[in-house]
Amino acid sequence: MIHLLQANISTSAPSSYLPIGLQIAFAAGLVALLMVLTHLLGPRRKTSDKLQNFTSGIESHGDARQPMAIKYFLTAILFVLFDVEVIFFYPYAVNFKELGWAGFGAVLMFVGFFLCGFIYIIKKGALKWED
Amino acid sequence: MNALVLSAILGVVMMFSGILLKRPAAIRSVAIIGLLLLLASNMLDMSGTRFFSINLGDFLHFDRFAFLFNSVAIFCVLVYVLLTGKAIERVGVKNYADYFALFFFVLCGIFLVTSFQSLLILFLGIEIITIPLYILTGSDKRNLKSNEASLKYFLMGAFSTGLMLMGIALIYGAQGTFAIEKFNLLKIPGSPLMIAGMLLMLFSMAFKVSAAPLHFWTPDVYDGAPTVFTSFMATVVKAAVFIGFIRLFENAFGLLQPTWQLWVALMAAATLFVGNITAVFQQSVKRMLAYSSIAQAGFMMLAIFALNGDAKEGLLLYGAAYSLATIGIFSVLSRMDDYSYESFNGLAARQPLVAATLTIFLLSLAGIPLTAGFLAKFYMIKAVVATGSNLWLVVFALLMAAVSVYYYFRVIQAMYFREAGEHSASFQEPGKGFKWVLVLVAALIIALGLFPSLLLNWLYF
Amino acid sequence: MPINYYIFLAIALFSIGVVGVLTRRNAIIIFMCIELMLNSVNLLLVAFSKMHHLAAGATPTTGIDGQLFVFFIMVVAAAEVSVGLAIIVMMYRNIHSVDVNFLNRLKH
Repeated sequence: MIHLLQANISTSAPSSYLPIGLQIAFAAGLVALLMVLTHLLGPRRKTSDKLQNFTSGIESHGDARQPMAIKYFLTAILFVLFDVEVIFFYPYAVNFKELGWAGFGAVLMFVGFFLCGFIYIIKKGALKWED
Repeated sequence: MNALVLSAILGVVMMFSGILLKRPAAIRSVAIIGLLLLLASNMLDMSGTRFFSINLGDFLHFDRFAFLFNSVAIFCVLVYVLLTGKAIERVGVKNYADYFALFFFVLCGIFLVTSFQSLLILFLGIEIITIPLYILTGSDKRNLKSNEASLKYFLMGAFSTGLMLMGIALIYGAQGTFAIEKFNLLKIPGSPLMIAGMLLMLFSMAFKVSAAPLHFWTPDVYDGAPTVFTSFMATVVKAAVFIGFIRLFENAFGLLQPTWQLWVALMAAATLFVGNITAVFQQSVKRMLAYSSIAQAGFMMLAIFALNGDAKEGLLLYGAAYSLATIGIFSVLSRMDDYSYESFNGLAARQPLVAATLTIFLLSLAGIPLTAGFLAKFYMIKAVVATGSNLWLVVFALLMAAVSVYYYFRVIQAMYFREAGEHSASFQEPGKGFKWVLVLVAALIIALGLFPSLLLNWLYF
Repeated sequence: MPINYYIFLAIALFSIGVVGVLTRRNAIIIFMCIELMLNSVNLLLVAFSKMHHLAAGATPTTGIDGQLFVFFIMVVAAAEVSVGLAIIVMMYRNIHSVDVNFLNRLKH
């Protein structure tokens, strides 16, 4: 049986790129199909109220591209930091069984340092939005 | 290893001490006790008592040279905290403990850089050193100069990190490993990947130690940063990166010496020239010290050029002498509110003790005999002479050392031979402890100038 | 694919980053160019890692350190991003611009 979506990495013949090509065709085709279908099937009533942006019943005014409150910045940055640190779990997850308890201890230490940082930012009030 | 683990833990302890303790004096005491513990644990490690037995693999190797420099670095930070710890309060009391936490993290990076055995650890160490420095540079949040300095430092520092990483990647392509002792330079000596990678590493390391032509960020950053933190980053950190520099070029690229030696010689000469000549024209003592740090980096580059036993001993002595003297001068400077030469007018009459110790520090930086600075410069020159080639470099270095006397003596002249006029700035009355530490440091500089074996014997016994 | 293609691609991306850093005036864009430099290095390291792995043949762990390095670069880059963006925001609060041409107060 031919696995259509299973690339054969041992050879670099053009045919081994077939799964990738299939995936791209499928993704593009799905998007195109959905767009065409909604366009054809959806009812349309073009009144001025319908064309306005809907924001929970409040009259919209001004431009959406206004500067955001800077306090979200800190939360975003902290998210990026903690999010990226997680990539160290990937190699651990792959070698979970081989590393055994020693590896578990090491990861526990890593998470411990991590938690210290988290407690620190909470205590410093970096996650408080209202002031 | 003791000190490395302990410094990371102490950094976290300092972070939380800021939340638990409210009085700055208490936080400072915790930091001083921490530094003493660190120094003791490092000395114990040097004499063979290890708290942790960890298989370091190809990543780290602690040799005597690294241990000794680590001790010097911890001692310098201790002196720094004793002298300028109180002045840091002026930058911001709210985050007072965090600054000390950053010092401990920088020390952690220093231990990695001085004993790396793998390019991965070198990269991590350099980053652990520089990222806290970006924060310290910009810690005076309302001051536009501080903002500007930190942004400049950050953009340029990140750029040079990119260069270093590209160098490491190319070397990895040529060698197939990051462990510097497994490098096989004889197999493929002229591999373009290897040469390109080595040059990129050379440039990025030159950037980190502010050697010409990559020194342009230094004066602005040192001038813009709060004075107390300039003192930290211009001394201990610079000396530590030099130790990493010489370790990299000795252990990893030693066999390629014919390829890079001329580059380093030219860089050293350019650094000496730019640093000394520009320092002559400065009107502010702080900016003069920034250029003087470039000039001193030029002298330390001579050790990289020579790369022999004298060079390594000399670099250690140079690091200690330069760091101690500069920390002393900055500690006095951070108690003044104006950094022009005129503000030193008549200081000797008002503060005879402070002026006397300051004179010793300046003489040491200028390389006058009987001080540690003289012997350090002497070791450097001796090391270059021992290589037997490029004697023009020796003559040039001596010439530039003579130029440096001019701008260091301008401060001494202002202190002793000028009347205190309307320009002379107010000088915060120092406490007894400050004066004692200042005298101790001055005595240490003279002692090292007379008996360098006090420090260097530790390398062998 | 020959390793040369990867080297050329990585060097090209790296050069785009370098040119961007040296010519652009907006601090955020300079910053993005630096990230581009770091990521081109990641690409190169992974390619070299695979190359050394294939060259070694028998031993399965050869070349694994290159990929390990990439993890560290990513994490350090994230740490740098957080500090760098904080610095840029701090500057924006004070002078309401992220143009590096405004960085001239230290030139006397």
